[in-house]
Amino acid sequence: MNITSYLALAAILFSIGLYGVITKRNAVMVLFSIELMLNAVNINLVAFAKYGIFPSISGQVFSLFSIAIAAAEAAVGIAILIALYRNKGTVEADKYNSMKG
Amino acid sequence: MQSMSDMDWGIMAPEWVIAIACALLIVVDLFLKNTASRRWIGFLSLLAVGMAGGWVITQFRHKSAMILDGAYILAPYTLIWKIILLTGAALVLLVSLGQEKKEYEPHEGEYYYLLLTAVLGGMIVVSTADLIGLYTGLELLSLSSYILVGIQKKKNRSNEAAWKYVVLGGVSSAFILYGMSFLYGLTGTTHVGEIQKQLSQVGSSYEAYVYLSFFLMMVGFGFKLASAPFHTWAPDVYQGAPTPITSFLAIVSKSVTFALVLIVYMAYAGPYGEFQEDMIILFMIMATLSMIIGNTVALRQTNVKRMMAYSSIAHAGYVLVAVATGNQILIPIVFFYLFVYLFMTIGVFAVIALVAEQEKSEDLKAFAGLYHRSPLLALSMSVFLLSLAGIPVTAGFFGKFYIIMGALELNHIWLIAVMIVTTIISYYYYFAVIRQMYFRRPASSDPVRVSWPMKVAIGISLIATMGIGIMPQFVLETLQSLLR
Amino acid sequence: MEKSYLSLAIFFLLGIALPMVALFFGRLLRPHRPLPEKAITYESGVDPTGDSWVQFHVRYYLFALLFVIFDVEAVFLYPWAVSYDLLRTEMGLFILVEMTIFVLFLLIGLIYAWKKKVLEWR
Repeated sequence: MNITSYLALAAILFSIGLYGVITKRNAVMVLFSIELMLNAVNINLVAFAKYGIFPSISGQVFSLFSIAIAAAEAAVGIAILIALYRNKGTVEADKYNSMKG
Repeated sequence: MQSMSDMDWGIMAPEWVIAIACALLIVVDLFLKNTASRRWIGFLSLLAVGMAGGWVITQFRHKSAMILDGAYILAPYTLIWKIILLTGAALVLLVSLGQEKKEYEPHEGEYYYLLLTAVLGGMIVVSTADLIGLYTGLELLSLSSYILVGIQKKKNRSNEAAWKYVVLGGVSSAFILYGMSFLYGLTGTTHVGEIQKQLSQVGSSYEAYVYLSFFLMMVGFGFKLASAPFHTWAPDVYQGAPTPITSFLAIVSKSVTFALVLIVYMAYAGPYGEFQEDMIILFMIMATLSMIIGNTVALRQTNVKRMMAYSSIAHAGYVLVAVATGNQILIPIVFFYLFVYLFMTIGVFAVIALVAEQEKSEDLKAFAGLYHRSPLLALSMSVFLLSLAGIPVTAGFFGKFYIIMGALELNHIWLIAVMIVTTIISYYYYFAVIRQMYFRRPASSDPVRVSWPMKVAIGISLIATMGIGIMPQFVLETLQSLLR
Repeated sequence: MEKSYLSLAIFFLLGIALPMVALFFGRLLRPHRPLPEKAITYESGVDPTGDSWVQFHVRYYLFALLFVIFDVEAVFLYPWAVSYDLLRTEMGLFILVEMTIFVLFLLIGLIYAWKKKVLEWR
């Protein structure tokens, strides 16, 4: 199996995630998109660890760490979103615009 | 391979002090009665930061060492970074303790130990040379600061700021991680030193991927540094966060990101010439944009914290000028500038916190007639602002002067021109605050109450700012001799 | 090679045709008598109350978050456990101490959740 296809998959997922962050109005979807970006990187890391120029185990270790951190990030994100929802009563990210300048 | 238990774990002591203090404080805070005051948790955190700082100072005598296969490094430069971070954290803690009315009252305990975890993350970043360690440390810092920004749970602005920070922070982490994954893929190792060796061999045959990884990481760093064109989150987050946390973001988070930039720079700095030149151009573009956008948009601000956000974008630009030159000789100058920036920024934010608390407003007009109410406070604020502006014979002036001299040696004339012109533009908005303080009529004549931790924080910043302004050469030479 | 594509095509066509045919004949054969009772949501014979789009209590999220965090942290225990024997010969008891520290930090997280009353169901 060629590594290029894995890299392409990761690149596509990363781009979809980035597109989602920029365009989605629902705040929960924005968080999902960030997760998508982080998981795209995990595909990259694992693919490199197996089929890279210099295959080594550290890529898989790296992806374990990044999964754990991504989970923590999602938890913090959701917690902040809940606080925001309680104050504002909406998850439309466009409405979070009280500061200007 | 060195056996794990034989390693000199003692060199990690500063990190252990912070980690253990943090764990203990969490447990103590949980078993404390809800009504009990959490103030002393802040003092204990301060003590922990002080102990870690003391330990770091004694480590200057220790010879350079590595443990965990080079994933943890003790070298003069890591120690100087830690001094910057710990000093910043200590002053932020003092400012927080000095605030009389805290909007995060029910979470005061959490506030203090989240500051500790954030600093711990920063210390891990500066003392590691392994991509996994760098990423983990960076995220520990970022995750803690997301919560700190949004700690005023009931306050709409704080929540919004935290939301923006979490989204932009998450995206930038993803970019950095994506870039790191390519760096790992090209070299098969996560250690920066090894990566440098490998890249100089295989880099030229996979040039596109080398560039891709660097660009991705630079986008991520751009976000974290709040340098233009990735700065748009900064004003909102700086405005919405509690004032001490704003100063924490401006000082500690920014310094850590600069450390990260310099470490990653090392990975690409193999014998691999053309690429380095392109790298420098990218840094220069970011530096130029940051200086221009930061200083011009700051002119339009009426909220002081927003204004300081743009000011910090501009200052990131100045430091990037030093980084852009890509020369090892400029490293002491970067440290010098960050030290100066630390003290003057903390000073300004401490005064802002005091005035905003008294006047219930962060507007520029809240400073009206401050000189007639509290002359000493107004005078120290003027010193900090003049230093930030870089008026000759202040600490900030010498910071900029050294950067300009460094850039001059390497013939980056237009970069220097932009720096000087934007510095002059910046005088206008710094002087706007000074004008308010001296030449406007105060709304009330009662002096601003200053609690003693605030006095200590402002005093230390004032002495340090003036001290560095009086003998800059001494400070710079000390840094240079430490790094040698 | 072409043969496998042919069988795939036949499979694909059959997959589309079968449900269409089945639904078409079903429609021809079945009686058509709409009643309002038939249109309501089926809830074991009880009349449904309220909207079917109910909002879940925030407490569910807290549980989910807690689960996710501890779940991914547990991932670190597996490689450690698998390579335990191998690493022990190399480093001795140190490997046990290291993981104990890790688990202790997790324990602090658990105590935190417990004292913040996230684990109680009321």
